[in-house]
Amino acid sequence: MVTYLFILFATLAIAAALAMVLNRSTVNSALFLVLNMLSIAGIYLLLKAQFLAVVQVLVYAGAIMVLFLFVIMLLNVEDEEAVLDKINFRYIISVILGVVVLSYLLYIAGSMADALPPVAEDMAQVGTVEAIGDELFSTYILPLEITAILLTAAVVGAIMMAQHKFK
Amino acid sequence: MESISQLLHFFPLIIVTIGSLVVMMVDAFSKDTAKLYYLSVFFLIAALAASISDVFGPAGEAFYGMAVYGGTSAMGGVIVLLGTLFVVLLCKEYLTAIKHHVGEVYSLILFCTVGMLVLVTANDLVTLFLGVETMSIALYVLAGLIKRDKAGAEAALKYFLLGAFATGFFLYGIALLYGAAGSTQLTAIAEVTDGGLIYWGGLAMLLVGIFFKISAVPFHMWTPDVYQGAPTLITAYMATASKAAVIVALIILLGRAFPDIHSDWAEVFQVIAVLTMILGNVIALVQDNMKRMLAYSSIAHVGYIMVGLVAGTAAGYSGVMYYLFAYTIMNVGAFGVVAYYERQKGLDFTNMENYGGLGYKQPMFGVAMSIFMFSLAGIPPFAGFIGKYQVFAAAVYEGYIGLVLVGVITSVIGVYYYIRVLVYLYMREPESDTVFQQPGMVYKTAILVLAIMTIYFGIQPGALSEIFTQGFEQLQIMAATGR
Amino acid sequence: MAELIPFIIGIPLLGFLINGLLGLAFPAWREQKLLIGIIANLSVFVPFLMTLSIFMGMTGQSDPTVVTLWTWMEAGDFSADIAYRIDQLSILMALIVTGVGSLIHLYSIGYMGHDEGYWKYFAYLNLFIFAMMNLVMADNLLLLFLGWEGVGLCSYLLIGFWYSDMAKSIAAKKAFLYNRVGDAAFLIAMYLTFSHVGSLSFGEIFASLDQIPQTTVFWIGFLLLIGATGKSAQIPLFVWLPDAMAGPTAVSALIHAATMVTAGIYLISRMSEMYVLSPEVMLLVAVIGGLTAIVAATIALTQHDIKSVLAYSTVSQLGFMFLALGSGAFIAALFHVLTHAFFKACLFLGSGSVIHTMEHVEHKLHDEGKQVHYDPQDMRNMGGLKKYMPSTYWTFLISTLAIAGIPPLSGFFSKDEILVMTFNAGTVAEYGAVYYGLWGIGIITAFLTAFYMFRLTFSTFHGEFKLEKNVAGAEGAEKHLHESPKTMTLPLWILAALAVVGGFVGIPNFVASTFAGTDVSVNQMHIWLGGSIADFDLVLSKAVEWALLSGAVLIAALGIFFAYRLYGNAEVEEADKLVSARTRPLYSTWSDKYKVDEIYEGGIVNPLVKFSNGLYVFDMRVIDGLVNLVGGTMKLTGSLLRYIQTGVAGNYAFALVLGVILVFYLLLF
Repeated sequence: MVTYLFILFATLAIAAALAMVLNRSTVNSALFLVLNMLSIAGIYLLLKAQFLAVVQVLVYAGAIMVLFLFVIMLLNVEDEEAVLDKINFRYIISVILGVVVLSYLLYIAGSMADALPPVAEDMAQVGTVEAIGDELFSTYILPLEITAILLTAAVVGAIMMAQHKFK
Repeated sequence: MESISQLLHFFPLIIVTIGSLVVMMVDAFSKDTAKLYYLSVFFLIAALAASISDVFGPAGEAFYGMAVYGGTSAMGGVIVLLGTLFVVLLCKEYLTAIKHHVGEVYSLILFCTVGMLVLVTANDLVTLFLGVETMSIALYVLAGLIKRDKAGAEAALKYFLLGAFATGFFLYGIALLYGAAGSTQLTAIAEVTDGGLIYWGGLAMLLVGIFFKISAVPFHMWTPDVYQGAPTLITAYMATASKAAVIVALIILLGRAFPDIHSDWAEVFQVIAVLTMILGNVIALVQDNMKRMLAYSSIAHVGYIMVGLVAGTAAGYSGVMYYLFAYTIMNVGAFGVVAYYERQKGLDFTNMENYGGLGYKQPMFGVAMSIFMFSLAGIPPFAGFIGKYQVFAAAVYEGYIGLVLVGVITSVIGVYYYIRVLVYLYMREPESDTVFQQPGMVYKTAILVLAIMTIYFGIQPGALSEIFTQGFEQLQIMAATGR
Repeated sequence: MAELIPFIIGIPLLGFLINGLLGLAFPAWREQKLLIGIIANLSVFVPFLMTLSIFMGMTGQSDPTVVTLWTWMEAGDFSADIAYRIDQLSILMALIVTGVGSLIHLYSIGYMGHDEGYWKYFAYLNLFIFAMMNLVMADNLLLLFLGWEGVGLCSYLLIGFWYSDMAKSIAAKKAFLYNRVGDAAFLIAMYLTFSHVGSLSFGEIFASLDQIPQTTVFWIGFLLLIGATGKSAQIPLFVWLPDAMAGPTAVSALIHAATMVTAGIYLISRMSEMYVLSPEVMLLVAVIGGLTAIVAATIALTQHDIKSVLAYSTVSQLGFMFLALGSGAFIAALFHVLTHAFFKACLFLGSGSVIHTMEHVEHKLHDEGKQVHYDPQDMRNMGGLKKYMPSTYWTFLISTLAIAGIPPLSGFFSKDEILVMTFNAGTVAEYGAVYYGLWGIGIITAFLTAFYMFRLTFSTFHGEFKLEKNVAGAEGAEKHLHESPKTMTLPLWILAALAVVGGFVGIPNFVASTFAGTDVSVNQMHIWLGGSIADFDLVLSKAVEWALLSGAVLIAALGIFFAYRLYGNAEVEEADKLVSARTRPLYSTWSDKYKVDEIYEGGIVNPLVKFSNGLYVFDMRVIDGLVNLVGGTMKLTGSLLRYIQTGVAGNYAFALVLGVILVFYLLLF
């Protein structure tokens, strides 16, 4: 079952990544990126890294992608209608179906070989929010604090670039 | 509790961090930018004093092995803070003159310095990465400060794009090394000496990331554009403090994580050093823009520094430290004088042809510029000579004679473009008789102090180079015992 | 004691910096002559007192102390320390330098009082003291060499102090260049020493003397000797010193009589342990000294410029010191350095006082509207100054008696010891016969010394004032003659007093023993230096020593007697004619100064210039062509390579990827 799911997610991720690069429309590209990230979140789940999976969905698929879409839409205002036209549901469904078929084929190919190593049992404990929190506030306390500074610096920088108008 | 007692060894870092946050907050509520300047100077002097006292303090690891203190780290801190302090001291007058005196500059410089101080104390690839990024993010913004100027904005964008590209390599290298060693700590990585493709690939990509930051050839392409486009004193900051920080981190990295595979990485460094020295010096020959010339010169200097790293001995590393120290002093000074000339006639006044007869306009600046140029060219009795001598001597001692030969020959080429500046300053007719603004007292004093230091450490290098050698040996003993 | 060293060395430097920098920066400071003078004087006098206090705390038996201030640089096995050595020899020299230096600084306040470059003059003078202290206190050859070069520089600056006068600039250049020849030899000697000993500090050199092969000892000694002949104006490099009198007279007294020129003697005494190992080099030192002594003395007979006479006299006396060194009488040489510093400084300052007055007269005559020009240093224009300048006259006379070797003045003791030790070397040293010959030369020179010095004194101070007779339009000049100010006469009297009593530190033991009836040791010089410097053993019997001593006194008295007969009425020109008639054809050789300058010019300088011209053409055509070719190629390469920098970010990224491939290739294969 796990192997089966892995191959599905993996193929989906690769296909989405390819589609994202190859697609001409920026909005479509962005949406394929969302798909790509969601599939990767799935792989994280398979590895029993729940926290990582949630963060992946929240931060990447959620926040960052929304930002991307905003920017794209702000930059290409004249393309707004075209974007809506271009979302072709039949096309999307066909891609997903194609992925399912492809992954099934790959699964058969994969089951011939020795497929995947088993995930270690204690991954279930390591991947929890609690375990990660423990690590973050003990071993990785210094990097955590520095990250805070890094983000503050980035915010200050962004404000400065946006705010000041020099003559 | 352990962490708190360990904090005592990181006073410079803490002071600058608090300083950056305080400056940021004051900036938010106050319109008086001058206040921020004094605050920054205050915090930097305090941090510098703290780091100087650290040099004579103990050395060790802290924060679960994430950072090291004392020894080379403390001395790296001194170099970084010295460079930053002088840049900030000169900054106010220059930025006011070019009408870009905004408060965020100070908080960004301080954030950037936090990144550098993290870099020089990094004992773990994670901390190393965070240090590099904190520093770079702030620098990307600072480089694009002059937005009116299209070239400047374009250069900053290029810097950001390529920087992100290099960061990708850097991060991937870290991931692979983690895969090979099972840890990101430098001492743990040192235990692995051949982890197959993952190991070597990881090392290669890590080095690529670092080569980009220190602008070694062929990862240097961004340097001339960015150095030219950025405000002159920010260029000085990038050329000195940021390079010094990365190179000190590199020394710690090589000394603690890869001491046993010296012969392997030395080969890479050798080739890159030769490329860097030749390309940097030869292209600098034909530059007419002062800032571009200094950019190529800084590339060339990285080449010399790499010669010291190739040696891989305590003498080599301490020579590199001395070189960084000297290079920071004289380069901040040189950029400071360029910035002074520049602000007389506006931002485009950096072409060497405009420099005719300027040596007589403000005699003190002319003489100081001559001192910095002689020192950069590596002519005794200035500090630059001692630095160059030490790295070359260390390499010769280890038998890298061919490499040093290239270094010496390219240094000779380098003399041409440094002396050329003096020819313009003193032997060409002035273009027009502009009345020069008097520099402020602080500006004048800072340049004077830098010039005096350039001479002093050229005549009296003994004590300092001894401290540098001891500092590295301390670190090496730590690496050997795995503490 | 050791804690005073940084101050002793540093205070003169501080004085130089204060007067030099403030004078350079603020023209107003240059007018503060009193303040400048006080600062400059204190910067020498305070170190003198400190040196004195160290001296008081030491005995002849004290072990040398080495004070390392810091390590200047380190490279492999080589380490250059800024380290100073406190021992009997260095303290003796330091006392002479700061003591005589103080007096001459004091004298200069009056002497240079009206000069525009007053501040510069004192800055240079302090710098000189700083360099000289480095020279005599250094614990290693390198630091000594730095001081050596430093005094050379100051000498150059001060000889050419009135550089707007072309002749004076040329004299300065000449001094500098002749010194370079010696310095080159010094440098080679240093390399040789370092390559055999592995260190340049004196302690380590002396400790490993037995490891240096005999021939190397000879070459090191020989090369150092060449260096010493440059600085101390000996054959073959002596010609610069007479020309060096172009500088202010106080400078001539300090640098070119009392201190700097004795650096060569100091150097050889410092290295005496090495010199005694090679009899050949000792003989060479003695021969050079003896020849220089007599050559310079004979030239001095014929000169009319009073400073020129003193200059040749200095060269001659330095020759005596070298003669002593070569005869293994290092202590006697240093003793003569000490006494010579007193009486020769006094003579120079006295001549300065005379010149000062003669110039004053010229100025006064100009004020009266008389357009007269004459050489204020020419003794033919003087005479009869005794009544107008009593202090100058008496101090000058005392010093002249001292240099002539009349007991019990200081010069008598030191010169006598040198002659005795030379005679002694004939017995104990190898090549003894040569030393007897040198003793003969020494006796003749002693006679000549008494003769030409009294010729000078009589012509200047006795008889009638001749300026009015010799120079048209100088009527009424005599009434302008007057004594020099107190700041100038006070040092004269102090130096004259020292010239009288200075010799008592070196009363020969045999004299005291004869009077006391038993063997006693009263020679303070030997008590002070005997522990650290080993002279040749004195093997002569008391009778021989008494004979030599009385012979020397007799000879000196004879010289004075002849001088009185010929020059007693100060008719210089007529007497000179008489002398030249008796000594023809030698006299013309003497007055032509043996044509040394001409020989150097024709034999060395001119061929060299021709050769250089040939090389110059070669250099311009071939070497420069090659250099330009290389430079051009580099620039061409650069201008081609700059096109790599396209400005397109994509290309940059491409280069980066190429770099990645390169790094991967290097690491993985």
